Amino acid sequence: MNAADATLARKIFASYYETAEFRIPMLEQREFGIGNQKKIDARHLNFANAQEFRNYLCNNTPLFVSHSTAYYDFPGASPMVKKCWRGADVVFDLDIHAEGRFGAYAHLASVKEDVIRLVNDFILNDFGISRENVAVAFSGNRGYHVHVRDPAFLPLGSDERHELVDYIMGQGLDYTQFFTPEGKPAKLIGPRPDEGGYRGRLARGTIKLLEEDPGQLSRLFTKEKERNFFISGIKEGNWSRTSLKPNDLVSRLKPLAAGLPVGSVDTDAGVTQDLSKLIRVPNSIHGDTGMVARIINNIDAFDPWKDAMMREAGGGGIGDMKIRFTEDVPAIEMDQTMGPFNKDDELALPRHYALFFVLKGSATLAGPTG
Amino acid sequence: MAEGLEFALRYPFCESAKSALAGMDLSERIVDLAVERLLKALKGDKSAKMLLHDSDRKEEIASFAAARMILGHLRNSYLTNAFAVNESKRVRDCLDKDDERTVDAVAAQFGIATANEGRKLTVALPTYLRYSTRNPHYRLINRRLVRGRVEINYEEKKRLIEEAVKKHMESVPLVKDPPDMIKAAGARLVAELPKTESRVLGTVKAGDHPPCVMRLLDEMNKHTNLPHQARLYLATYFLAIGTSEDEINRMFSMLPDYSEKITRYQVGHIRKKGYNVASCATVMTYGLCCAVCRIGSPLNWHSLDDSRKNAIRERGAGGGGAP
Repeated sequence: MNAADATLARKIFASYYETAEFRIPMLEQREFGIGNQKKIDARHLNFANAQEFRNYLCNNTPLFVSHSTAYYDFPGASPMVKKCWRGADVVFDLDIHAEGRFGAYAHLASVKEDVIRLVNDFILNDFGISRENVAVAFSGNRGYHVHVRDPAFLPLGSDERHELVDYIMGQGLDYTQFFTPEGKPAKLIGPRPDEGGYRGRLARGTIKLLEEDPGQLSRLFTKEKERNFFISGIKEGNWSRTSLKPNDLVSRLKPLAAGLPVGSVDTDAGVTQDLSKLIRVPNSIHGDTGMVARIINNIDAFDPWKDAMMREAGGGGIGDMKIRFTEDVPAIEMDQTMGPFNKDDELALPRHYALFFVLKGSATLAGPTG
Repeated sequence: MAEGLEFALRYPFCESAKSALAGMDLSERIVDLAVERLLKALKGDKSAKMLLHDSDRKEEIASFAAARMILGHLRNSYLTNAFAVNESKRVRDCLDKDDERTVDAVAAQFGIATANEGRKLTVALPTYLRYSTRNPHYRLINRRLVRGRVEINYEEKKRLIEEAVKKHMESVPLVKDPPDMIKAAGARLVAELPKTESRVLGTVKAGDHPPCVMRLLDEMNKHTNLPHQARLYLATYFLAIGTSEDEINRMFSMLPDYSEKITRYQVGHIRKKGYNVASCATVMTYGLCCAVCRIGSPLNWHSLDDSRKNAIRERGAGGGGAP
């Protein structure tokens, strides 16, 4: 990105920050980091209150701004040991690394599905954390951040957080242990759908599969009578109401069990364990896309291409901007199909789309038109 | 009656011990008992004395506080961890003999509150995470976990308390300017410590090993008490890369509960039986994996080129600046 592009981007960012709504609990106890060339060029910053933070963003306007997941007595002190660590939010970073710089955008919907499962199945149901202590934000690029701020979880150390990540990722999950033969003649006793954790999820998942696509488990279950008899057993924890042999049945559940953990936490497991991690400030702008790391109230309805684009007045959403592409860009499914564009194409786009390509480094400013 | 002098004697870290000692001053006798207590820890001796008089009991309780003062003054991790391991094992023996009410009173000291749900006990998830050992039996994935409550049994509850005691003992507040008696006791103890400890890891640590092995060696360097699976993993790994049994024994001497006889026997047994090095998948289920190497077996580390190793090390470095 050349200097003129960066200046324009900063101008647009600054006007957004004048009115942006931040919700940063215990802001004064957090360390901040800012970046222009990289995501973090400087850290150990701290602010006394939200107004001071806003003033800083309006006056200095970095392309990236992050805050610590941790709370400190002296957030501005360095080195780290002098900060006096007092606890940290448990943060999960979900995204997908795909081929090419634009490849991941095609998978945003599947990452969103994982976020919903992570929050509902794991954080709320298994971990028992109440909804008011969970905040979900778009990352501003190709994923989501889930912030858990339950006071009982803040003091957890790195190893303990690792254990939570392993649980979510299903590391060491051996679903065959859920099944035991009991009685004479031997019945296969297994999980019931009303149980918690992976056991309940496996039972519910099996029933769902039987109802939606029974042939996947076995051709036997395409017959309604066979299927219903088997399901009635599962509901009581008895998995024997079928002519399938127990071992055969259990091994047929393998693909279903493999789908129970949350896959997209995998790539960024280190984020959760890092007790001094700096994470993008929710509702700040991602300097690689110009999209807002939007705080999400209703994840089911959230669409990044509609809701995270900077459309606010003053945010650059008004008028068109003329850009020239400096490389070939494949078609991207945003809220409308964008592209494909060829190198040296010159065209006027609504400002939030134009900014996206400029910040991505695929285009450069050719003079505003709107 | 849970909270009497006998209770304070067995569990001298509890609040009731502090009130039992109200008005008592530090004396040569108490410091001597503290030194004795620490020397017993170095030998792994967790036996308790028969004390008939209340005054003797009070001195024994006070010796625990004095031992902590000596540790806070010395800041010697080997001694501190040896003390933590020995005291926690001693406490476990007491818990096994005491009734449920007493066990609950000790548990309450560490905020371990269990609830009865049917025939099972449950404990809050953060408490469970903090005080369960990193061992496959306690992996969260193998537990029933419903709405933030983890199912455990009574034996496991006592194990959580044992770990809580150990953690409590491992963190000793710094004692900046202790009385002369404490300083002198510290000097006596230092003379009893193994001399070579800082050089022990020299040869094995100088080698080039996967991140999980390096991390365990770092832990060992700090005299952390490693779980059984970690020890087994290290022994099989170092035997497989051709390290001598003597060197492996020397390495394990860093552990706070090291016994040369037991270690020699076990390392020799592992070699004779030809146990395989755990695969990465197994290392992961042990909860010992700390990087994304994708090499299948830790031994494959040695066939990677330097750039790949560096990339893994950088990616694996999640922490940094942790408290």
